[in-house]
Amino acid sequence: MLNFLDVPTSLSLASLEVGHHLYWQIGNLKIHGQVFIVSWIVIGILVTASLLATQNAQRVPKGIQNLMEYALEFVRNLTRDQIGEKEYRPWVPFVGTLFLFIFVSNWSGALVPWKLIRLPEGELAAPTNDINTTVALALLVSLAYFYAGFSKKGLGYFAKYVQPTPILLPIAILEDFTKPLSLSFRLFGNILADELVVAVLVLLVPLFVPLPVMLLGLFTSAIQALVFATLAAAYIHEALEGHGDEHHE
Amino acid sequence: MFDFDATLPLMAVQFLLLAALMNVVFFKPLTKVIDDRNDYIRTSEADAKERLAKAESMAKQYEADLAASRRAYQATIAAAQAEAQQVVDQKIAEAQQAAQAQREQAQKELDQQKQAAMQSLEQQVDALSREILDKLLVGI
Repeated sequence: MLNFLDVPTSLSLASLEVGHHLYWQIGNLKIHGQVFIVSWIVIGILVTASLLATQNAQRVPKGIQNLMEYALEFVRNLTRDQIGEKEYRPWVPFVGTLFLFIFVSNWSGALVPWKLIRLPEGELAAPTNDINTTVALALLVSLAYFYAGFSKKGLGYFAKYVQPTPILLPIAILEDFTKPLSLSFRLFGNILADELVVAVLVLLVPLFVPLPVMLLGLFTSAIQALVFATLAAAYIHEALEGHGDEHHE
Repeated sequence: MFDFDATLPLMAVQFLLLAALMNVVFFKPLTKVIDDRNDYIRTSEADAKERLAKAESMAKQYEADLAASRRAYQATIAAAQAEAQQVVDQKIAEAQQAAQAQREQAQKELDQQKQAAMQSLEQQVDALSREILDKLLVGI
């Protein structure tokens, strides 16, 4: 996309490819290979870290166990703050995995020099800068809060659409579409924009100048993971609580 | 940029599998570890509190025992002192009595001897005076 800037070969590290994908063909389905490769690495990191942390769990934590316990307490507190003491426990794995997966994905995109690995087409990057990934996660969040609502109240869940007044019914219905839309586009846009800004700056000034933006990118990546997980938990809480009592926290 | 394809559902399925896997290898075991640790801390805290209370009550008990035994030995000392005083008084009284008795005895003996001496002196005076009388009367 930005390759029109006729860059010398020394700057080829910085060239950008947006919209190019490494296509894999499965049957007559096309998938984006580069997204899956990096997501498998991310999953590998998460599972390896978990296994290392839990295989010899001590009462007094040390090293990686300490780190992973910190992560666990972090996502537990996040979930509890949003969903509430009573019902947060079953949702910790879902919200926590959301946070960890997005966080590690974002940071892998920001920290790992994927450009050094050449692919036949497209380039490796954070899985979260592909709209498919973010939409998949956002739809899962939608499914999760619908599941939460229905499992708690059965068909009474629909009461929340007309509860304060039926006039708001269209808006309530619209909300169910805007929620996944905003979730997915927020994450996708932030990560992609961050990578683009870094790439453009690297293209213009290869040394040092992009560093503050890269740091900002790390910050943004972490915040976006936090925002995604927090909003997911908040939506689930809303579905569990019903429309009437969502404001008295 | 916005080309949706089979990546989406596959990624969703993959994420669900990841969540399930993470639940097994990460969330369950570490939550258990943390909960166990909290339980352990809670029970050992309760245990320590209990033991502290026990130690405090024992210290109180010992103090009470100490006070009681202090009172007891003070009473014993007082009793012993009183007894000793009594003995001393008794002994002194006895000695004084004995001394008195001895003095009286001695006085009695002295009087007796004095009397005896006086008697014998009187006799001698009598005998002498009779002799004197005889001698005087012979001359007549």
